[in-house]
Amino acid sequence: MATNNLKRWLTIIMATLGAALLFISLVFLSKTTQNSAEFGRLQTSILLLNAAGVAVLLTLILINLVTLVRQYRQHMPGARLTARMVTMFVVLAVAPLGLVYYFSLQFITRDIDSWFDVQIESALDDAMLLSRTALENRTREHLDRLQNSMGRLQGLSGPNLVAELERVRETMGAEEMTIVGSNNRIIATSSALEAAGVPMRPSDEIRLQTRQGLPYVSFDPISSGGFQIRIALKLAAEGAVDGVGLFENFGAEGGADEERILLAQIPVASNESDLAEGVQFAYMRYRELAFLRQPLKVSFTLTLTLALLLALLTAVSGAFYWSRRLVAPIQDLVAGTRAVAKGHFDTQLPVPQRDEIGFLVNSFNEMTRRLAEARESAEQSRQQVESERANLAVILARLSTGVVALESDLRLRAVNQAAGAILGHEFEAHIGDKLGDFAGASAMTQQFVELCRGHLDKGETEWREQVVLRGDVGRQVLMCACTALPGEADKASGYVIVFDDITALIQAQRDAAWGEVARRLAHEIKNPLTPIQLSAERMRHRFMKKMDSEDARVLERSTHTIIHQVEAMKDMVNAFSEYARAPNVDLTIFDLNHLVHEVAELYRVQSRSVTIALELDTEITVLEADRGRVRQILHNLIRNSIDALEGQEQGRIELATRLVREQDLKFVDIVVRDNGPGIQMDIVEQVFDPYVTSKPKGTGLGLAIVKKLVEEHGGRIYANNRDTGGARISIRLPMDEDSRTAMLSRAAQPRENRREHA
Amino acid sequence: MSGLLTSMARRVAICNRLIVSVLVLLALTSIAWSAEQGRFAIRTVFTDVRDGVIYLNADVDYELSEVAVEALASGVDLTIELQIEVVRDRRIWIDRDIASLLQRYQLSYQPLSQRYITSNLNSGDQLSFAGLPAALEHLGRVRDLPVLDDTLLKPGKRYEIRVRAVLDTRDFAGPLRLITFLWRDWRLASEWYEWPLII
Repeated sequence: MATNNLKRWLTIIMATLGAALLFISLVFLSKTTQNSAEFGRLQTSILLLNAAGVAVLLTLILINLVTLVRQYRQHMPGARLTARMVTMFVVLAVAPLGLVYYFSLQFITRDIDSWFDVQIESALDDAMLLSRTALENRTREHLDRLQNSMGRLQGLSGPNLVAELERVRETMGAEEMTIVGSNNRIIATSSALEAAGVPMRPSDEIRLQTRQGLPYVSFDPISSGGFQIRIALKLAAEGAVDGVGLFENFGAEGGADEERILLAQIPVASNESDLAEGVQFAYMRYRELAFLRQPLKVSFTLTLTLALLLALLTAVSGAFYWSRRLVAPIQDLVAGTRAVAKGHFDTQLPVPQRDEIGFLVNSFNEMTRRLAEARESAEQSRQQVESERANLAVILARLSTGVVALESDLRLRAVNQAAGAILGHEFEAHIGDKLGDFAGASAMTQQFVELCRGHLDKGETEWREQVVLRGDVGRQVLMCACTALPGEADKASGYVIVFDDITALIQAQRDAAWGEVARRLAHEIKNPLTPIQLSAERMRHRFMKKMDSEDARVLERSTHTIIHQVEAMKDMVNAFSEYARAPNVDLTIFDLNHLVHEVAELYRVQSRSVTIALELDTEITVLEADRGRVRQILHNLIRNSIDALEGQEQGRIELATRLVREQDLKFVDIVVRDNGPGIQMDIVEQVFDPYVTSKPKGTGLGLAIVKKLVEEHGGRIYANNRDTGGARISIRLPMDEDSRTAMLSRAAQPRENRREHA
Repeated sequence: MSGLLTSMARRVAICNRLIVSVLVLLALTSIAWSAEQGRFAIRTVFTDVRDGVIYLNADVDYELSEVAVEALASGVDLTIELQIEVVRDRRIWIDRDIASLLQRYQLSYQPLSQRYITSNLNSGDQLSFAGLPAALEHLGRVRDLPVLDDTLLKPGKRYEIRVRAVLDTRDFAGPLRLITFLWRDWRLASEWYEWPLII
């Protein structure tokens, strides 16, 4: 962040410095074009500096342009906006600059051209001509006078010549007069100047002209200002007129026909000179300007073009810079939005500045922060719900109570394992099916469904009922409760039906009650029986002999009945006490088939009217159980059947054993079938309860005891009628310790759970 | 395929023609320029030692470019600079400057008298000429220009005198200066003329 700031400031400072430098150089350039001497020397460097500035800006723009084009082609976010803004800025800068440039050029050209006028030019030419003519006239005048005075110098030599020259000079008003011989030898000189320098000598030009006999006239400026007229004349070599002496004195070296040149230097009157100079200055100035017209135009155009180029390029660079700066936060926003769309809610953007875009970026940051928070809390609550649901699923699965959840249109929404186990049906495949559409459902399931539908179709949503379901393996007592799930607008969103299998509970209660009855009966009745029997016997013994035969016979019959009935009563009480006896199982390993054979053999001998058929599974070798109790079970069952077959011809009892394997567990099934009248349908449910019997005689405890004994081994007993007539009683006993444990736990589990629920 | 080839061939032909025409144009301009360009050249240089003073004599050919002549006629004063340097010729190190002398002349035109004036800016001597060639010839004849005292030179060492004539445009008015910087026909200078200085 700090480096970015530094970088930005550095850029701004550099740009400002560069712009200032370029501006100053432009001012200098314009000054130099306006003929200002002090910047003249700097001009080249200024020009180069400007050109360098232009080059730098051009490079910058080119780099920017290339980058922009590449970004545009790659469809980078913000590239289009940048391009549009740059185009806009450039158009906005170029149009007015172009206009100003065009008109400035026009003005410069016209302005410079307007300095020059044909009339002024011809007037100046005329003035020049006039001045020249005037000066020429003056010069000619001087020439004429000099030519007239020349005669006075002819033939003179030596001091005479010098004196005469002095006089001629004075009359002519000349500054200096000199007579030069050949080889630039000065023959005579006269000067008006006090500190006269070296007398002038004739130049090659003068010599050339005078040699031809023509006068040389020139009009020269003098370095101190003003003009002077220079005249050179050839003097005729007629010195011989005055005498040879002179020539002998002065011209000994030169000879008689020595060429003499008279040089005169005559100043022009200062007023004339000033005027001429003024005219010349104006003329020269005008000519110079006319000459400079083209360079001036070129340099003005150049300066203007440079200034314009600099301004334009600065504007374009600025356009790039500002477009980028403006677009940068928008680019960030676009990238941020994309990131958020991809699910990166923790995206935070740098805040550019405190303007509307900065506000927007701030809002974006706030939004992403809140989104991230919301997502986090949603995630947390989702996890919470998930764990709750998992807990609930575990609880439901472990629950021994059957739970069935229905939609409001009675479609099955959920069902737990216990429900399936109680009703003996797999509900998993029926999730989503309508209640009652369960194909292949068991009889109990169908009864259950009918019960539920009966209530729900009537519009009863809250009910509780104990129902008895009749299945293939016996009856089952269920405690059902239904409640509606809360939904919208007082309409149930579904129903939950909860039911418990309370068959075992009821049975246990009944068993406990009968146990108590039996114990009391045994206790209360058994005690007086013996004194009754003894008393009856004593009575017979004491009074039999004393009585006559008639009375004795009556007594004999009565006491016999008492004793006999008491005996029967004792048996009954013994049976009850057996039923109520506390379980004390003595497990041993023995051969079941052998035992069955043994018991059956016993009855074959006793009851000749009944056929006992054995059907023994040879796979069963040994059984771990209480041998005495198993024997009693067999006795009771066979006796029960024999009793049922009493008075029936061709009575037949079938005794079968069978080995049953369930996974690793082994069980033994003992089935006793007869062809008697079978169990009456009204008592088939309570056939194992004490005192339930269809026989004319019997205690009604036989099957109850059997059931008790079987349950003491952890086994199960079922009773039903055969299709061909007669009853069938099936017993399943565990074959070893593992199987017994498994069966006991299976039987105990629902009971315990039930207790917990209660 | 053939259409493509033909169009390519046509393009190549057009390119060739373009290159040739550009070359011809360049050649023509260079000829035209050289005709108007003017030329400064040093013809001879010789030195002469009298009374312990080294005098330089040189003959320089001054040929002004058309633009320069026009500028002169328009009242622009031209400054011609004769740069004279005496250096010690060193075998290993770069040559050492012993003395340098700048002889500046001004050439101007007087429209009133229609004469060309030459003035030696070092001495102030001023002469007028009826024609430009005479004035230039006068400027080109350098006679007995004292350069340096021979006591400054160590005998036995190798010295060299080198001379160059340059049209000095530095004092020109603003716009003209810009032009002289840009236009080639204003850049008038002779090559360095080198002459071993023998004492």
